Amino acid sequence: MSRICLLITILLLLPGCIEYHPYDMRISGETGVNARNIQRIEEGCRGRNAIRFAVIGDTQRWYDETQEAVEAINRRNDIDFVIHTGDMANFGMRKEFELQRDILNGLACPYVCLLGNHDCLGNGYLIFQEIFGSYDFAFTAGNTRIVCLNMNALDFDHTMTIPNFQFLDNELAHFPAEAQKSVLVMHADPLSDIADRGVAQIFRRYTEHFSSLQFCVNGHGHNYKESDLFDNGTIYYQCDAIEKRYLLIFTLNDEGYTHERIPF
Amino acid sequence: MNAYRFNPRPILFALLLLLVAGPLLAQDNAGRKRLDDRYHVRYDGWKRVLPTHIKAQYAGGMGFLSIGGGWDYGARSQGETDLLVGFLPKAYADVLHLTITLKQNYIPWSLRCTERLAVEPLSCGAYLCLITGEHFWIKDPSRYPVKRYYGFPTQLRFHIFLGQRITITTPHCGTMKNLSLFYELNTNELDLIAKCGNKHLRIADIVNLSVGIKIQLMK
Repeated sequence: MSRICLLITILLLLPGCIEYHPYDMRISGETGVNARNIQRIEEGCRGRNAIRFAVIGDTQRWYDETQEAVEAINRRNDIDFVIHTGDMANFGMRKEFELQRDILNGLACPYVCLLGNHDCLGNGYLIFQEIFGSYDFAFTAGNTRIVCLNMNALDFDHTMTIPNFQFLDNELAHFPAEAQKSVLVMHADPLSDIADRGVAQIFRRYTEHFSSLQFCVNGHGHNYKESDLFDNGTIYYQCDAIEKRYLLIFTLNDEGYTHERIPF
Repeated sequence: MNAYRFNPRPILFALLLLLVAGPLLAQDNAGRKRLDDRYHVRYDGWKRVLPTHIKAQYAGGMGFLSIGGGWDYGARSQGETDLLVGFLPKAYADVLHLTITLKQNYIPWSLRCTERLAVEPLSCGAYLCLITGEHFWIKDPSRYPVKRYYGFPTQLRFHIFLGQRITITTPHCGTMKNLSLFYELNTNELDLIAKCGNKHLRIADIVNLSVGIKIQLMK
């Protein structure tokens, strides 16, 4: 009898081999990834006027390429942090997030992940929240405020305002004193098929209030693109999907910023 | 920090061994007692709709626990079709979700070890599992710009499995004829697709373990 009890206990305690459902929220391994990494980024870049970060995105179901990207970034010693623009999961299943997190945890530098539209599927949006954190978040890297936004209006079926203008108001009202410029990051650009295009112009007006906005960066389109989306001088850079094997690297310093698209 | 992942290789190896040995052992040699002494007993008339067995299964991608009944068929009851209803409790999701699973089993051999005990070295099959919940759908909701924007049903998963059973024949005990304990290793179609395109993924990353009990009912 005691052996049976032991067996049952082992089965209940082995989240790695027991799956109640692909969309269950029995998360195995680390949670709250973004908060921990934001702390590392802010500490690592404090007091600096120059930062360099890599942008990757749309790693869904391309585990091999994501692993190669991690190795390529680790081979360089000049990247302060990595931003993943979302779509880690292709189907929103728990295991996809866990596998991607475990690969990205192999990065020598800290990273943050945004919510992509594929990450929202099923219970994916809740699993993302548990493993990575809030859908809208911001951090200060050196003298740059990096604001990361949820743009997946369609996936939330208009149950909340997306982009989160309340969050943007709060960011503008409490812009940190040490930050002199800003960068906006989102999964999809505000005119994309999954964004709420009805509020795109309102969003544009908000972006114009950000202190010395350098550029915006997004994923979702799977192909590299740079465009002045609203003809107001703000460039939106769209990173490649990881399968294209390119890193998008931004360097910000007192002279401005440069960007490179580097194959790996 | 890497999460613990279970290694199914020894189990898969043992399963493969029995898979090869099973049919050889189950051969009907003249003059010797058959090792596979299963025979199919069915109801007559309207009673054929009554289930021939009841089953409970823990995990397996069909909820925390699934319970249901099923029907067996074939000369030696090699085939089984089950209909299971399960649940995913709020503790492991946002709200309580119910699941409905249609499961097809094939158990080609049974090896009689003792009077009371038989081993089924292989059970295999597939099941379709449907989960309830407002965020799950079969067809992409109409709000998406094209008809098949995602092109797969979040509500429905297709699983395949391999497993083994032991069957204990009980002395006459109410309506219970015998009792089987089983385990299964399963994977779903989406995990399988991911494994096909990625060397980085190990078998252990896509295989899950489930256990269950089957009670064969008396005619």
